Amino acid sequence: MALRSLRSLTIAFLLAFLAATIGTGLAIHWVTQATITGLVDQRVAAASKAVAGPPAAGSRPADILRRIAAFEGRLDTADIGFMLVDGEGRLLGGNIHIRRRLPVGFSTVRREDYREGLGVGRALVRDLGGGLRLTTVAEIEPFDDYDEARTRIYLVGFGSIVLIVIAGLIAFGLLIKRRIAAIRRTVDAIIDGDMQRRLPVEPSRGEFAQQAQAFNRMLDRITELMSGISNVSNDIAHDLRTPLARLRGQLERLAAQADTPPLRAGLEEAIAQADHLLAMFGAVLRIAEVEGGDRRARFEPLDLGALARDVGAMMQAAAAEEARELVVGPCDSLPVLGDRQLLTQALINVIENGLRHTPPGSRVVVGAARSPAGAAVTIADDGPGIAPDQREEAMRRFGRLDKSRNQAGHGLGLPLVEAIMRLHRGSLALEDAGPGLKVVLVVPAP
Amino acid sequence: MGMKLLLVEDDQVLAAGLVEQLQAFEHQVVHVVDGRQGLRALDDDHFDAVILDWMLPRLDGVSVLTTLRARDVTTPIIMLSALGQSAEKVRGLEAGADDYVVKPVAASELHARLGAVLRARKWARGGSGMLRAGDILVSPEKFRAWRNGKAIDLSHLELNLLAELARNVDTVLTRAMLLERVWAYDFEPSTNIVDVFIRRLRVKLTAAGGDDPIATLRGVGYMLRG
Repeated sequence: MALRSLRSLTIAFLLAFLAATIGTGLAIHWVTQATITGLVDQRVAAASKAVAGPPAAGSRPADILRRIAAFEGRLDTADIGFMLVDGEGRLLGGNIHIRRRLPVGFSTVRREDYREGLGVGRALVRDLGGGLRLTTVAEIEPFDDYDEARTRIYLVGFGSIVLIVIAGLIAFGLLIKRRIAAIRRTVDAIIDGDMQRRLPVEPSRGEFAQQAQAFNRMLDRITELMSGISNVSNDIAHDLRTPLARLRGQLERLAAQADTPPLRAGLEEAIAQADHLLAMFGAVLRIAEVEGGDRRARFEPLDLGALARDVGAMMQAAAAEEARELVVGPCDSLPVLGDRQLLTQALINVIENGLRHTPPGSRVVVGAARSPAGAAVTIADDGPGIAPDQREEAMRRFGRLDKSRNQAGHGLGLPLVEAIMRLHRGSLALEDAGPGLKVVLVVPAP
Repeated sequence: MGMKLLLVEDDQVLAAGLVEQLQAFEHQVVHVVDGRQGLRALDDDHFDAVILDWMLPRLDGVSVLTTLRARDVTTPIIMLSALGQSAEKVRGLEAGADDYVVKPVAASELHARLGAVLRARKWARGGSGMLRAGDILVSPEKFRAWRNGKAIDLSHLELNLLAELARNVDTVLTRAMLLERVWAYDFEPSTNIVDVFIRRLRVKLTAAGGDDPIATLRGVGYMLRG
């Protein structure tokens, strides 16, 4: 078992702990049992020897029975019993009667072995010669049902220890789980674009509080660096737009005054280039706006399937002018929560992509259906497609595949779509339409 | 149709360029550089419209706007902003701006928007639905349009486009304005869908004969002739 998860580690620990506890219990049981048996055996031997007596004191049954009676009178020997049997197994006397024929030497007698007598005990059978057998028994249990009582003590004692340990493990596990869940929630929020989220810091100076503080300091630093980077790129996009707009204005004025058609055409081409650059900076700023996550506050319920159908229908005329066929396939009603403007822009971008990167005469098919991940819009073309190893490049900002480098577009279309899908906690996937490219946009169901 | 305009903009270079270009459109432009000066200029003088920057030293654009509207000054105001985020646009329009443009803005765009804003002021607000432009009649409520009394079969979007052109008859509407007003987009797709739909509209409007009623102003936009 790999001890990587909290659960498997806890189970392994618990099993080891239970094994050790049960082992300890059994060991204690065996050791005490052996010690008690040894001590009782000594007592039995001493009593047996005293009753059998030295040969000088007389070894006739009557002598022995007299000594048994004398022994019985003593206070500290109530748990010792004797039985004298002759060669034919007839009971001659004593204060106990055991049904079973015990072997010579030490053995254990159980309660059911007696016809009348004592509790569980140790027996010593001695052959006194002439067929006479003296059985001496001493109780092992200091009181009745001692063994059951001892088992109960073990169960209660060790059981409560085990319960305390399990409760501790659960409490410890919950504490760690809660901390990890808090970290995960914060991380998820940050992935979703909420860079202001932080871990709650408990007032104590414990390890968890220190870890939370360190984590939060790391987030502060990352936020600082990120805002530095995005400020730089936004400032560049923003500050370059102003001189570019002046340049465009100047070109416009010159074009209005241009007196020869070639000059006018050249100036208009220059204006188109300026517009292309402006659109590129606009896209950079748009991505920054989407990534800021503020627009999520304006999400509204809308039907993504109907939106895909409307946008597809709207783009059909533009596709026809470019000699491509745009087919609006079945579009199921797909209620989602989202930003209508951004989803429209994402759909237009992907459809434009399909029209732009396919040869004339190609077909682009738009469809919408429910998928396991949520509402899915599919835009598939029968053009050359994108090789699997180039798909990542196609998603990268300014990432342009070689064959399309000379065509229109600024390499920010798919990154913007991806940012929009991320804002919706959805996804953008490039797949093989065999032949062609299939783009799948998924927005999770609300 | 020269107007008397007040430009409140702290970027001197940008303002100088705008002033020069707006003058080329025969407007008379007074330029001030902060919000306080803007309010004072409006106290002292009458303007046909105000072009107001969002970020200004000493009293920002929205505060100027709110102050003016609180004083019942109804002069048309176009907000200029560097950011162009839709939340800001909503705030500007809610504060009482007539229009909102993102910098950098071409003087031709600004000129067209000024014309549309002034024109919009002349409509009888809430006036009944029929729009007339020459021999074209549009009923946005019934989703119907006629030319010379003959019905024209238009899609929903085409009808909205024609209605917007008819509402601003003889006034230039730029592509950006049409995208905002007809498509309700807050972005510009790289496919020129406005041009595509204007072409379709032209085909349908001239199918039963008659001149093309839509004038193209190169690099600026379109205008329906009355």
